[in-house]
Amino acid sequence: MRWNDAVLGAIFVIIALVVALDARGFPDLPGQAYGSGTLPTLVAAVMFCLGAAQIVTGVRSRAPAIRLDAWMRAPGAAWRMAAVPLFVAAFVLLLRPLGFPLVTPPLLFALLLVMTVRPATALVVAVAATAGIWFVFARLLGVPLPLGLLTEIVY
Amino acid sequence: MEALLAAFAAALAPQVLLVVVAASVYGLFIGAVPGLTATMGTALLVPLTFFLEPLAAIGAIVAASTMAIFAGDIPGALLRIPGTPASAAYTDDAYRLTQKGQAGLALGTNLVCSVLGGLIGVAILVLAAPRIARFSLGFSSYEYFWLALLGLSCATAVSRGSAVKGGLSICAGLLISMIGIDIVTGTPRFTFGDTPLIAGVSIIPVLIGMFAITEILRKCATPAPASRPEALRLGALFAGVGGTVWRYKGGVARSSVLGAFIGALPGAGADIAAWISYAVAKRFSREPRKFGTGHAEGIVSASSSNNAALSGAYVPALVFGIPGDTITAILIGVLMMKGVTPGPMVFVMDQGLVGAIFAIFVVANLLLLPLGTVAILLSQRLLAVPANVLFPIILLFCAIGAFATNNAYFDIWIMLAVGLLAFALEENGYPLAPMILALILGPQIEESFMQSIIKADGHLLAFFSRPIAGTLGVLTLAIWLAVALLALRSGRRAAGAARRAG
Repeated sequence: MRWNDAVLGAIFVIIALVVALDARGFPDLPGQAYGSGTLPTLVAAVMFCLGAAQIVTGVRSRAPAIRLDAWMRAPGAAWRMAAVPLFVAAFVLLLRPLGFPLVTPPLLFALLLVMTVRPATALVVAVAATAGIWFVFARLLGVPLPLGLLTEIVY
Repeated sequence: MEALLAAFAAALAPQVLLVVVAASVYGLFIGAVPGLTATMGTALLVPLTFFLEPLAAIGAIVAASTMAIFAGDIPGALLRIPGTPASAAYTDDAYRLTQKGQAGLALGTNLVCSVLGGLIGVAILVLAAPRIARFSLGFSSYEYFWLALLGLSCATAVSRGSAVKGGLSICAGLLISMIGIDIVTGTPRFTFGDTPLIAGVSIIPVLIGMFAITEILRKCATPAPASRPEALRLGALFAGVGGTVWRYKGGVARSSVLGAFIGALPGAGADIAAWISYAVAKRFSREPRKFGTGHAEGIVSASSSNNAALSGAYVPALVFGIPGDTITAILIGVLMMKGVTPGPMVFVMDQGLVGAIFAIFVVANLLLLPLGTVAILLSQRLLAVPANVLFPIILLFCAIGAFATNNAYFDIWIMLAVGLLAFALEENGYPLAPMILALILGPQIEESFMQSIIKADGHLLAFFSRPIAGTLGVLTLAIWLAVALLALRSGRRAAGAARRAG
């Protein structure tokens, strides 16, 4: 997904302005003209100039505002790509209430199906990967992966 | 002598050795599967290294990256798909050799030269780092400020593509590093109120997002079909390798030294080292026309150079805490989390640790020979792993890895946000290496700047008052000027071309 340089340049300019405005409220060191706002302001100034330069380049190039690369136009590509953030978001939101052992296999199974893995393989892989990661992180490394609904059953 | 024995004893301690071997196997797998880069492999290792002792953690990263850079040659030679970007320079030559029925020669040369290049790189690291460290013991906050800034400037100057985009990438990294409580005045900055951002953006989810999520997004969209190259036999593997390497021994030496030097430049890593060494070898060759047609000379040069670059990158990383490439940037992030701040004092106070790190490099490069041979023999199996099964599992691993360091759900969101942001930037030609360098160097730049300005009582000229600081300062400003002039000139040329075309 290629945007015209001017689009991202404008976003950088806006971020730079917001940062510079916010940084004005940061306190200076006692008796100095410098403080916690100095470097953010400097970086914002550089970002503003470079972003502006990108706007100029983008406008001059007369490229379309947005252009899809060939690989992204392949059938199903956009949908498979969207599945990645959807998987992560669903995983974080459901992890605490339901627990790692209950959330992971169905989500991973669904993602594997989206990736056109055969259902039988997907099922085996989803369960095996869940067990493997549980073993490494929860048992070997002692990471408290949430048990969610299973907490009361286990304890 | 005693120090040497102690260093190897520490590096060969059972726990450390076990970690190194396990990381090696992992690195070979990462390198051999196209689409998994050495940097991504290192970023995925970070959640695990968090739970290890500093020496074992460094050993894991060194071993995995050494193996991965070599293993990237395997699919390059067999399928014409470089396993990591560092193998891209000579993929054509290696693949043509395979087509001529000389896959064994191509991969054997890759392996032997990787080991030789790696060892020469380690020798340079062992010789150079302590000397530079001793020299820099007298550095004050002024020198550190300029050094860190010079490192960043270097990263834009060497990154491919537009310097403006490199600069914006640096600015973004610096701003992300400023999120959280400011160390000098204790003010919360850019935290959007009372959010988990008060503690700052933790580095592990950022690394995973930047280097793994970006790749997963790309590979999930268009998963490559698994392929089955022909199996190789041990006998065919090393036939003619000795003669070839001996014929181009000068190329091995030159490329290794060049590779270590390029690796030491902040922002330039193994892939740039391989491209430059390939080009240099072609220039000095008696048969430059044969390059690209299955000629071993370029393979010899570039595959020794990319492994030498790995060790070279550790010179500025260990001496100044300034990463030489993305892998050392990750390593410094891990060390800082464990309370070890790389710098010249480490060389004075903790010579045991430094010696052990050097020993680990030697061990990892020597292990490459047997383990790499096994990887080549198993290449048929390694390359048969289907991408559409592999990447969802890696995604799950990323999410848990981001969660594991602080047990924070928020960190998984950070990973996702940074991943999507980095993907968008990379798709539009913004290099990510300057951004991660800025993120790691940001706190160091700000701290040394504030210390200096307090010492100087607000006088900016004091930044040039000491001889070394002054030199570094002028050098940094000169690089900025050169980059700006070049960018202006290429901008004008592009505008002219657009006008003619329009």
